[in-house]
Formats: sequence, C-alpha cells, structure tokens
Amino acid sequence: MSNTKSLLTIKNLHASVEEKNIIKGLSLDIKPGEVHAIMGPNGAGKSTMGYVLSGRDGYSVESGSVTLDGEDLLEMETEERARAGLFLAFQYPVEIPGVSNLEFLKASVDAQRLARGEEAITSANFLKEAKAACKQVNLPIAFLKRGVNEGFSGGEKKRNELMQMLLLKPKLCILDETDSGLDIDAMQVVAAGVNSQRTEDRSFIVVTHYQRLLDYIKPDFVHVLSDGKIVKSGDASLAQELEAQGYAWLQSEPTEDELEG
Amino acid sequence: MSEWLTGAIARGQGISDWLAPKRAQALELLSQTAWPTRRTEAWRYTPLRSVERSIAKDQVQTTGLSPVDIADLHMTELVFVNGRFDVQQSSSELPTGLSIVLGSELNNADQALAIEQFSSIKPSRHLFGLVNDALASDVVVVAIAAGADIEKPIRISSLLSSGAEAHTRVQVKLGDGAKATVIEDVQAQGDTLSTAFVEYDIADNARLEHYRFALQTNTNVAIGGSHFNLNNKSKMHSTIVAFGSDLSRLDTDIIHAGEFADAKLNAMYLLDGKELFDLHATVEHAMPNGTTEENVRGIVADRARAVFNGRIHIHRDAQKTLAELNNRNLLMSDKAEINTKPELEIYADDVKCAHGATIAEIDKQALYYLQTRGVSRSKAQVMLNFGFINELIDLMPNAALAEWVRPIIRERFAQMEVK
Amino acid sequence: MTEQIDKALAREYEAGFVSDVESETFLPGLDEDVIRRISAMKDEPEWMLEWRLNAFRIWSEMEEPTWAHVHYPEIDFQSISYYSAPKSMKDKPKSLDEVDPELLRTYEKLGIPLIEQQMLAGIAVDAVFDSVSVVTTFREKLSEAGVIFCPISEAIQRYPDLVKKYLGSVVPTKDNYYAALNCAVFTDGSFVFIPKNTRCPMELSTYFRINEQNTGQFERTLIIAEEGSHVSYLEGCTAPQRDENQLHAAVVELVAMDNAEIKYSTVQNWYPGDENGKGGIYNFVTKRGICHTNAKISWTQVETGSSVTWKYPSCILKGDNSIGEFYSVALTRGRQQADTGTKMIHLGKNTRSTIISKGISAGKSNNSYRGLVRMNPGAQGARNFTQCDSLLIGDQCGAHTFPYVESRNPSAIVEHEATTSKVSDEQMFLCQQRGLDPEKAVSMIVNGFCKEVFKELPMEFAVEAGKLLEISLEGSVG
Repeated sequence: MSNTKSLLTIKNLHASVEEKNIIKGLSLDIKPGEVHAIMGPNGAGKSTMGYVLSGRDGYSVESGSVTLDGEDLLEMETEERARAGLFLAFQYPVEIPGVSNLEFLKASVDAQRLARGEEAITSANFLKEAKAACKQVNLPIAFLKRGVNEGFSGGEKKRNELMQMLLLKPKLCILDETDSGLDIDAMQVVAAGVNSQRTEDRSFIVVTHYQRLLDYIKPDFVHVLSDGKIVKSGDASLAQELEAQGYAWLQSEPTEDELEG
Repeated sequence: MSEWLTGAIARGQGISDWLAPKRAQALELLSQTAWPTRRTEAWRYTPLRSVERSIAKDQVQTTGLSPVDIADLHMTELVFVNGRFDVQQSSSELPTGLSIVLGSELNNADQALAIEQFSSIKPSRHLFGLVNDALASDVVVVAIAAGADIEKPIRISSLLSSGAEAHTRVQVKLGDGAKATVIEDVQAQGDTLSTAFVEYDIADNARLEHYRFALQTNTNVAIGGSHFNLNNKSKMHSTIVAFGSDLSRLDTDIIHAGEFADAKLNAMYLLDGKELFDLHATVEHAMPNGTTEENVRGIVADRARAVFNGRIHIHRDAQKTLAELNNRNLLMSDKAEINTKPELEIYADDVKCAHGATIAEIDKQALYYLQTRGVSRSKAQVMLNFGFINELIDLMPNAALAEWVRPIIRERFAQMEVK
Repeated sequence: MTEQIDKALAREYEAGFVSDVESETFLPGLDEDVIRRISAMKDEPEWMLEWRLNAFRIWSEMEEPTWAHVHYPEIDFQSISYYSAPKSMKDKPKSLDEVDPELLRTYEKLGIPLIEQQMLAGIAVDAVFDSVSVVTTFREKLSEAGVIFCPISEAIQRYPDLVKKYLGSVVPTKDNYYAALNCAVFTDGSFVFIPKNTRCPMELSTYFRINEQNTGQFERTLIIAEEGSHVSYLEGCTAPQRDENQLHAAVVELVAMDNAEIKYSTVQNWYPGDENGKGGIYNFVTKRGICHTNAKISWTQVETGSSVTWKYPSCILKGDNSIGEFYSVALTRGRQQADTGTKMIHLGKNTRSTIISKGISAGKSNNSYRGLVRMNPGAQGARNFTQCDSLLIGDQCGAHTFPYVESRNPSAIVEHEATTSKVSDEQMFLCQQRGLDPEKAVSMIVNGFCKEVFKELPMEFAVEAGKLLEISLEGSVG
C-alpha cells in the first residue's frame, strides 16, 4: 500500500482563527480508500481542521502545505476544493430558508460536473437520483422541496448531509462529528450510508469525540488530535483504549507554578 | 404648490357627476395641502420630481392593450385601459354572488351607498388618494354577497399606454362570511402616470385573499393604495410584489374595525437601475383581540432606492392585540439606498407587539455552505438572494399565481447585476 | 391596580422645595438688548457677543419643531427671564467659605454636598444654580493632572482659543430651534478639557438646579478629550415644584479625538409637573458628540423627570473604528411626555454603534423612542445593533417607537428590534408567592427590565438611579 500515491497530504500545518493559533503543526497522509478517524478532546482543533481544509473565510493558514491528489489545496477557493473532490459533512449544517433542497443539490451537482468536464445531467435523471438518495438515507421525498435544512431535526440534517455526499460522489469526505446528537438508530443509518460509499479510491476522515461511531464505521487508522497536532496514531484498537481512558492523559503534568497559581 | 397639483385641481373642478359631493370635499382638502417636500414626513425619502415633470395629456386612445394571461388561472376580469373601464375586455358573465357595476350606473339607493363608502376606508392623509378622489373617471363597485364563496379570482387590471395619465378607483365589498380573491395589477408601457386606489370592506367572518403586483417598467410614475377595513372575525391575506420605477409609491392601510380579525401582509420589492419603490404600510388596531403579521423583504441593486414605512398603531381599546412586523433588506451596491422606518404607537398595555428591521449582507455561513458543495460564489449569492424572496413566494396561498410570478422574479434577478 | 397607580402618581417630588436665595433676575423678554446684557454680565469678549447675536438672528428666523410625539401649549419666549443669579455670586466667591450658606444647604438637601471633606472621594462637582456656576470642587487636584474643569463662562475668559475652536463645532448654531436659542442666551455650564493621553483622575460631575420662578435654564457644556484621553462625566438635575412650566434648553458638545473615550451619564429628575400635568420642566436638549479615529463616546441616561422631554444624545462616528453607545431608561408617569432617543451617524469605516433603550410608561403618560441610524457610503463594514423595549404599566399610557434606519453601504449591517410588554400577572404571582409585596415585586421587575442600562452607570449613579426608579414606581401596581 505504501507505493500508492497519497490522496491527501497535510504537512506541518499551522492555522489560526481570529489571530488565535488552533492548528499547530498538523501532519497527516491519507491514501485512496483509507478511513482515518480523528479523535480528541474538545478544543483540540478537530472542527477547525475541517474548516481550514475546506477554505472557510476567517481561517487562515500560517504555514505548512496541503495537497489533494497532488494539487495544492490551499491555493483553491472553497468551491474549487469541493469540485476537486473534497466534501465536508458539517456538525451543524446551516439552514437556508427559501432555497429548496432540490435546487441546491442540482446547482451543486451541475457545478461539479461542469468543473470535471462531465456532461450536464438532465433534470429528470437528477430527480431520479435525488429520490434514490433520499430513500437510501431514509429521508422523505418531500424534503427535496423544503428549504435547505429548514426546520429539519438534528438527525434529518445529518442525513441530508449524507444524501449530498451520495450525490456529489467526492474523493475525500470529512465527517465532522456526524454522530453528535444522534440516537443509536440514526447513527446506524448514517454509518450504513457511509459504509455503502466506501470504495477503493474514496477516503474518509471521521472526526469524532466518542468511539461509538467507530463500532459502525471501522477505521483503518486512528489519530489523537490534541492542541492542534496529532499526538498519537494507531489502528482501530487505539479508539477502544481512548474510550476506556478518556483524554485526561493528554494533559501534560501540571507544573508547580500552575498548581500554586 | 406644484404646477402639476394646480392643474389636477383645475381638472377636478371641471368634472361634475354623481360623485360631485365627494370630489368637492377632496378638492377642498387638496387646496389646503402643501406640496410635499423633504420635510413632509410621508414623503421624506421620496421626491416628487417625476410627478412635477409630468404634464397632463389629453386622453391617449389606444387599442390592443389586454391583460396578460396567467397560466392555469381563470379569472373574472375587470379591465381599465388608460383609466377608462373597458366593458369589452371585462368579464360579463359573473359567478353567482358576485356583481361588478360602474358607480354611475347604479340605482339611486346603491349609488347613495357607494357615495357613503367612497373614501370611508382610505384615510384622507394620502395626497394622491385625494387626487384620485377628484379625478377618478368613475368607480367600479365590486360586491360579493353574504356567504358567497367566489373561487375564481377577480383581477383588476390597469393597462396604460405610453403618454397616458390614468386614475382608477374600485370599491370591493365582501358580505358576511363571503370569500374572494382579488388581484390588483398595473401594466404600463412607456411614460405614464397613474393613481390606482382600491377600498375593501370585509364584513364579519369574511375572508379576502389579496394580491397587488406592481411590475411596471422604469419610466412609469405609479402611485396607489389598497385600504382594508376588517370587521369581526374577518381575515385577510395580502401579497405585494413590486419592482420599482421612476416613482412607485404604495400606501396600504389595514384597519381592525372589528374584534378577532386577522391580517397578514407579505410584501417583496426587487429594485434595479435607478428605480424607486416606496411602501407605506399602516395597521390600525382599533378593536381588541386582533392579530397582524407583516413580512416585508427587499433587495436593492445598482442605484435603486427603497423606502419602507411600517406603522402599527394600537388604540386604547385594542387590548389583547398581537402584532408583528419584520422588515429585512439586502443592499447590493455602493450606490443603492435603503430607508426603513418601522413604527409602533401603542396605547393599550395587554398587547404583544414587536418589530424588527435589518439591513445586511448575505448570510456568510450560508454562502460558505453552498461553496463547500462546489457552487461558485456569485451563483451562490444569486441563489441566496432569490431564496430570501422565494420564502415569501412560497407563502402565497394561490399556487398558480405563485408559479406565474416566480419565473418573473427569477428573470428580474438575472437582470439585477450582482456586484 | 389602577387605584394603586394613582396613589403612586400622587407621590411627592422630593426635590420640589424652593431655596430662599436673593437673586438678581432679568425681567422676562428676549431681544438683542437682553443678549447684550447677558454678555455684559459675564464680561464676555466681543467675539462671544457677536456669536450670540448671530445665533439670535438665526433663531428668530427659525420655526419651532413639531415632529416630536409631544403636545404642549405654545411657549411664549417673551415671558421667560433669561438670566437669574444669586446676588451673593456677584463678587465671585474665591472659595467655598465665601459661598452663601443657603446655596450650600440647597445642594446638601439634594444630597450633593459641596464641602470637599464631606464628599465621596473621586467626584469633582460643578454646581450650576439657575444661570451661574456657584462652585466647582477639586479644581486644584484636577489641574495637577492637567485637566481643566470649570464653568464655561470662566473658560471663555481663560481659554478663549479652545472655546473658539470647539464651541458650536459639533452642534452648529442653526442645528435646531432650541440649540439656536441656547447659542444666543446660554448663561453657564461646564467646560472640560482632558489633555493628551491622560486619564481623568476622578469622575467629573455637574449638578444643575433651577430655582427662580419664570426663568429658563440654558446651560452649555463642552467636553474635549484629547488624543488617547479618558473621562467619565456625570450630570444631575432638579428644580422646585412650581405651577408654571419652565424651559430648560441645554446644549452639550463632546469632542473625542483619536483613541479618546468619553463616558457621559445623566440622571435627569427635573420637576415633572403634578398628576394633572400642571407645571414641570420642558426639557428640550441637544446633546451630540463627535468621535475621531478609534474614539468612543458612550451616553447613558436615566430620565425620570420633566413634563416634556425632547432629547436625542447622538454620536457622529467620523473616524474609522470609532464606537458610539446609547443606553437609556426613560420612565414617564402622570401626564409626562418623553420623546427621546439617539442618532448614530456612521461615516467612518468599521464604525460600531449600540443602542439599548428601555421605556417605561405609567399613568397617563406617553413615552416615545425616536432614533436614527445612518450608514453613509463611506461606512464600510459598519455595524449597528438597536434594541428598544417598552414596558406599559396601566392601560392609560402610551409607548411608541419611531426608528429611522438609512443605509447607503452594502457592507454595513443594521439590526433593529423593538418589543413591548407589560408586567405580567405570572411574574407578579411568582414574586408574591415567594413573599414579596406587590410594590417590591414591580420595582424588582422594572429594575430587571432596566438592568442592561444601569450596569453602564458609574456605581454611585446606578444606586441613585435604582432608588429614583423605585420611588417613582412606589405602589404603582397591586
């Protein structure tokens, strides 16, 4: 496997939000078809990583490099990264009243197909695909006509994210705490959806606080992110270890000054 | 006083017909009214230069103007061409329970009633309402009998050809428990000046669904008003869609004259070029237990200007009123301008009233979300702008009308340059 | 409930006494000659007299504004006396020992001791009695820091260059009717100058008192905060209980240079008139500040007095990144009418403004918020947030909101919200169930309603404001 070309390579990435350093020397290499879990305590920079990789305004890269399929990701606009195959499933998807889900999905798919030089999909075919995707993630067809995420429950929003992933067929999916706020049934639906999309050339970064989700989406690698960098990597068993121990061990021993202060 | 107004008064004095006593009253008030300046609160942001420039022309005779088709929608047509009621184009076969008659052709008793009704709902503070009182060619009286449920929408079209000046006037009366849909539409070509006023009396338990489309082109001066009197347990739902023009001004008055009345007003304006649109929406809660909900949204591009004044007045007796007004605006260019003034005037304590007004950029989070899905920034902006308005289109009770106006608005978006 | 409100409305106005001070008062009337005499009384230089006369000519051509939501009989400007001063002030007392003891007693009765030893350390007071400043405390301590705090009449003599440069620079003479009148006839007021990079070592405070009958008070305040300086200024006002209406038309100008900060707090408790609306002060005031780059002006006002209030403390946010704030509590009862609010004029980039207005109406009063937020084309990235809340107590009062929002910059964001509510039965029930009497419950609820504003007041004032509100509401709900 080591001969295979990398899909995503992050080298010594430093990034900040509102002049506060959050990512402090992150390195990560992901090959096609791999599933990497990123775990870590609150405030470690897990969500920030997704925002930085997708190019959100206000998140600035100080140093380091990121390539996707050999292309410099950091040079691209947010939408160009998406078209290059990067998909971020949000922890808290935003509501966009007045813009229908279907219109939104069609615009996204059209933009991406155009960018890849593919032929435009006809409305009829698209509707067929969208309906199938709805079914697969257990969302009523009527949701296609509603405003994007408008009035959706937490679980419905997550499934809507998954549906977008099914339609956009990205190369790299970043699932940002997709399990948060889901009950066990909903989580299984999401996991099944993700698993159905696992292919030889599609990779996943599964960001999660708990090991629970990883029972359903089996990672090839588990990384512990703490204070903006990866402090430990291992296989799936590391997740279990973390579940048992928590993250407290990550905190360095307090100095005497701190104890007194 | 402006030359234009002096001329209008002179023309009004020359008319003698069944409306004479009302016209005289209006002329008397007009002669005491100062021509608005920037210091006149009701015209603070809306200069009347284009009215002053306009010169009254002789009646322009045109044929070949007819109201546009709205797919899937059969309507009872009430057509004015250059201000004159057009019998040929207006529907002659009417559903049971609906009557449409010219005021001048009413029998004495009904005419007396029509005179009594005339300007009883439209407040006299509207300058151009007074002009319309004095100059309206006639009054079309629309009556819906008690208990009648008129499914077919009634459309009042005012068609104008270049050079026309027109003053149209309609009275609509819904009897007890009656139901009806009324669409007001102005379609103008070239340079025109029009005033179009409609008064609605909505009796106990009656329901009115109302639309006003002001999709005129930019060289029109279009001034008008829709005035509603709500009696006990009556309901109204009004939707206004407006593009601007040289001067486009609409005054709406919703009067809760009965208890437990319910009013909804959704208005949207999309302005481009050097257009101006000015909406003055007043709600008077004179009786207890009424509810009002207003949603007003606008997008202003290029050098256009939007003016909104939303006044909610809760009178001393109007306890247990619920009233809410929300005005949201997007400003698209450095040269565009928005002036908004939501007002509350409250004299009763056991009420719930709120208003909010925002002027903002597009929601950055939503923009980012769309971009992460591969949609370009400019396309995302258009989608979000359209979505902002589309929410109100979705609230239109008449689906056929919504589907008719949606692509018209889409096209307008395509024209409005996103800067 | 109504009965209890009535009881509350009949409460005594505690500052309503008249001081027995022998005064020299002009006969009522206003013409150029009166202005010359005012100027002469103050030994003013020629330029000042010219400035006044010019203002008088401008005023004579102006019309009284009618747009405010207030109603009062026409004011006869010829029936007002434009100058009144305690006789004892004629020879200008050099120290507190020379001040008429009756004057000192007046301020003591009002809770404003002027004897420095008795004062709370940290507040310097300028006491203005009718048309003149009677005493300014802690002047020496302030001058050590380079701070000038003196009556404006004295500043005209001693710092003519500063006065010439800034007087009328924020509120031009022809700004409005009452401002123009003030320019013509102002008699005294405070002058503050904070030098560069100086933090004023103590709170500054002016206490205004109208005593004489038929006089107007026309004070003028000018505060200049040089680059990087900081000052907190407090203002309080009372007047005797009289059957006639009296006019108070003040002008306050604030200049905050780059990186400077001015905090201006007012507790206004002029005589509000009796329950039938007889008597009381007409409080027609123009207050405005200009903010240069990175500067900040914060207005906080607690308005409980006056029969008619017409007042809009405003900020011109000229410099980039400058900040304007307006925090207001206005309480009206009896027949009081208040039309008050603010104007935030955003000219510079990234300017910010916050408006928090709390109006409480009781009795047969009318309370209006009137505000303007304007985003000019240059106000790139500017923001405003406005929250106006009204609380109605009883069903005979009125609460109104008239906000003007104007934007000409697509990157500017304006948010305005207004709500209205009453003290709910549920709230009252909860408090009473927990053992509070209705009066305490209402004052607690109202205090909670005003909390956001009170927390902006300097400590001593916050306590005074809370008490004032409590007294005003005594027994107002049952």
